[in-house]
Amino acid sequence: MNLALRLGAVLFLLAVWQVVAWLKIWPPVFVPEPVAVWDQLLRTSTEGYSGYTLAGHLLASLRRIVLGCLYGIGGGIVLGLLIGVVPVLRTLLNPLVTFVRTLPPLAYLSLLVIWFGIGEEPKVWLLLLAALPPVAVATADAVRGVHDDYLNAARSLGARPWEIPYRVVLPSALPEIVTGVRVAVGVAYTTVVAAETVNGVPGIGGMVRDAQRYNQTDVVVLGIIVIGLSGLLIDYLLQTLDRRLVPWRGRHI
Amino acid sequence: MKRVIAALLLLATACSAPADEPAGTALRIGYQLIPNGDLIVKDQKWLEQALPDTEITWSKFDSGGDVNTAMIAGAIDIGLAGSSPVTRGLSAPLSIPYRVPWIFDVIGDNEALVAKKEITSVAGLAGKTIATPFASTAHYSLLAILAEAGVTDAKVIDLQPPDIQAAWVRGDIDAAYVWTPVLAELEKDGAVLATSRELAGKGKLTADLAVVRDEFADKHPEILQEWLRQQDRAVKLTRTDPAAAAAAIGRQLNLDPAEAGRQLGQLVLLDAAEQRSPDYLGTAEAPGKLAENLRSAAEFLVGQKQLDAVPELTVFQKGLLPNALP
Repeated sequence: MNLALRLGAVLFLLAVWQVVAWLKIWPPVFVPEPVAVWDQLLRTSTEGYSGYTLAGHLLASLRRIVLGCLYGIGGGIVLGLLIGVVPVLRTLLNPLVTFVRTLPPLAYLSLLVIWFGIGEEPKVWLLLLAALPPVAVATADAVRGVHDDYLNAARSLGARPWEIPYRVVLPSALPEIVTGVRVAVGVAYTTVVAAETVNGVPGIGGMVRDAQRYNQTDVVVLGIIVIGLSGLLIDYLLQTLDRRLVPWRGRHI
Repeated sequence: MKRVIAALLLLATACSAPADEPAGTALRIGYQLIPNGDLIVKDQKWLEQALPDTEITWSKFDSGGDVNTAMIAGAIDIGLAGSSPVTRGLSAPLSIPYRVPWIFDVIGDNEALVAKKEITSVAGLAGKTIATPFASTAHYSLLAILAEAGVTDAKVIDLQPPDIQAAWVRGDIDAAYVWTPVLAELEKDGAVLATSRELAGKGKLTADLAVVRDEFADKHPEILQEWLRQQDRAVKLTRTDPAAAAAAIGRQLNLDPAEAGRQLGQLVLLDAAEQRSPDYLGTAEAPGKLAENLRSAAEFLVGQKQLDAVPELTVFQKGLLPNALP
């Protein structure tokens, strides 16, 4: 039932798109026909675009996202734990994390280009900076929110001091951290197009930008669909991971 | 991102009102910050004085690609675009209904190929990394000169001028084909291997062209003619009173007059009589050589997979509009 409903919605959207393209309210440069986009899918998958196939572009972007997220999430959890546990660091670092979080990535991309050049480094750095704050904030909040009863119970049951963070604090904070990770990956995904505005080929964002430059709207639409679908897939994987990693989410022991 | 937003805004204007039918007579001009006669006309408000009953709006554009988008949307009547974007615009699938009534300037020493000092010839660029803003006239010139020198394995990457400067300073690139003011910065510790002026001499001409929407040219020939008269007047001013011309351009570009005059001198400006010659626009009966230049640019774009097929020469000959020249 659910599946049929979703499939129906997609088909309905496609139909609306086709009708709008047929009516030619706007020139085809603005609204390419679905068939033209499909043709571009076949062409970019076999012949390639800007010297790389569609899969090549997507893999290059995914590699940047995975690297940026791994560094960002790792750094974010460490930073979040420090902020959550050490009050002095909370006062020191909290404003900084908030500052970085509110900056739009395009604003500091030029700076990263000057510092790290035009290769992979500035792109991975940009994604790192995008992914880190959500994780840090979620982790810090989660750590501070651990119920005192849990800590006291663990202590009275004979837990050693060094066991508390690992055995009690982390498991109880994990659901929120995982939510932070999901947000972070989403932010990194939306940032990848910005990251690829400077020497972004190969890369799905670089491909879209190139096509936009040459008014090849069918390739632009194709790129946007590919970005959207791969984003959905990644979020689905993260949800699955969430269920595996924190089966105790929403249950109080 | 900025471009995408600009395109969306244009789309919005295109659907909110039938943009090609402004109330009363209006002339909507798309200009770019290039030190040629257009900025003199704008600075001196010559059009506003000559056409008091016409509502004139000036919108700034950053690239010919954006001008093409605005033309498709019918959001501007006359625009400035480089010869590469105009080639794309006249060719299928875009086939924008516009024509070239005027050449703002032929690109001269203001676009050039600069390389690190240890590279002394174009052939020495084999295997090196060269940056240029893609889809621009500089991109076309770079590919033309690499093909001429038989360099096939250079790594050509897409960077905007400010990023080219950063990459150059860091040593990420070995050479760049770019325009002023970044070109001047690169020249300080690099060597110029070729300029667009030299390429123009070899038949690979690049230029900044005016494009006028067909519908506007047919409906308001008198406005177009007045516009051309003022452009011609600006070119003549650069010859009779270069200081005044440089001062006007300097005001528009926020440059001091000396620097504006230097940049103006790097371009080749042509008055109406020169544009009518067979080398450029020609006449309605005998279209000029500019059509051949545009077609040879199309051949390059096909090689770049940015066009599917090279259009017939007649497509570009019909794309010229020489009979409106004063």
